[in-house]
Amino acid sequence: MKTAALCLAMGAALLSGTAAADGFWPKKDGVAGSTHDLLKADQAFQLVAAEREGNTLKVSWEIAPGYYLYRKRIAFQALAPEGARLDAPELPRGEPIEDEHEGKTEIYRGSLKADLRWPRGAAAPQRLRVSYQGCAEAGVCYPPQTRTIDVIDLTH
Amino acid sequence: MRSIILIVVACIIAAAAGYGFYRYAHEGTVAAEPLPAGLQLSGLDGKPHGFEEWRGKLVLVNFWATWCTPCLHEIPELVKLQKQYAARGLQIVGPAVDDPDAVRSMLGPLGINYPVLSGTPDSMIDIMEKLGNGPGGLPFSILISPDGLILDRQLGEFTPAQLIKLIESHLPPATAQ
Repeated sequence: MKTAALCLAMGAALLSGTAAADGFWPKKDGVAGSTHDLLKADQAFQLVAAEREGNTLKVSWEIAPGYYLYRKRIAFQALAPEGARLDAPELPRGEPIEDEHEGKTEIYRGSLKADLRWPRGAAAPQRLRVSYQGCAEAGVCYPPQTRTIDVIDLTH
Repeated sequence: MRSIILIVVACIIAAAAGYGFYRYAHEGTVAAEPLPAGLQLSGLDGKPHGFEEWRGKLVLVNFWATWCTPCLHEIPELVKLQKQYAARGLQIVGPAVDDPDAVRSMLGPLGINYPVLSGTPDSMIDIMEKLGNGPGGLPFSILISPDGLILDRQLGEFTPAQLIKLIESHLPPATAQ
C-alpha cells in the first residue's frame, strides 16, 4: 500500500509540474502579471453612435468598467459635407481627479454623451472625426484614438 | 481507510510541491523567443533605428508617451537603473508613442539618459502588437537578450523591486572593483 501511495504521489507531482508548464494554471504576463486581461481600446471605449436630433448631434460612448476617458482629450471635427463646422462641444461635467502629472482634471466612466451644435447658416455635419484618449485603472493608458463616424439623422 | 487517507494526503502534498517547484524555477520569466525581424523605429531626428543596433547588450525597451501618467511615473526608476547597470551591459531604449516635439520637451525634465525614439500611434501599435502587446496600452516593456531573444515582456508599470530582480537575473554577476 505504501508503494502505491508513493507511486501516486510521484505521479501527482509530475502531472502538477506539467500542468504548470503547459499553461493549465493562470499564467503571468511578465513579472507583475496583473494586466494580461486588458481590453483593446475599441472594446474599452466603444464609440456607439453619432445621431442628429433636430439641431443637435449626440455622440455617445460606452466605457467598459475599470476604464476611463479624459474629458480634455475628447475632440470633434466635421468632415462632411464640405464647409460643415462645429461649435465647441458640450460635454457633461466629469469626475474630478488629481492626476500625478496632469494635475486637476476630469474623467468619464460608464456611459457618455456629448452634444454638438453647428453655427447658424452652416450645413449640418454628416460625417465626424472623433478623437479621444483614456486609460485602464490597472495602470495602463491607451494611445489617442481617432475614428470617423457617419451621423445618423433621427430628425425625419 | 487510513491507507486511503495517506494516499490522498501524499498526492496533495506532492502535487503542491510539483507546482511550487515549477513556479519557483520559472518565476519572472517567459520562454525566450526571437525578436520579429525588420522592426523599424524612428529617432527624434527622423532617422531609422532597429533593435539590432544594441546587440551584445541586455536591452530593456520601454514604450512610453508624454500623455501616459503611469509611464512618466516609471521613467525616473529607469533613469536610475540605466546609470546603475550600464557598466554591466544594460541598455534601456525608450520608444515614445508621441510627437517628436512633445517628447523633446520632456527629455530634460525627466532627465532621460538613454536613447529615445518616437512614432505615430498607428505605427507604434503595430510594432507593439508584433512584440506581444495585444491591447496596445502603455507603458509596455520588453527585455531582449544580448543575442536578440525576447526574455520577458510587461504591460503596465514595473515596481522598482521587479525591475531590479528582472535585470539582475539576466546580467552577469557584478565583479568586485
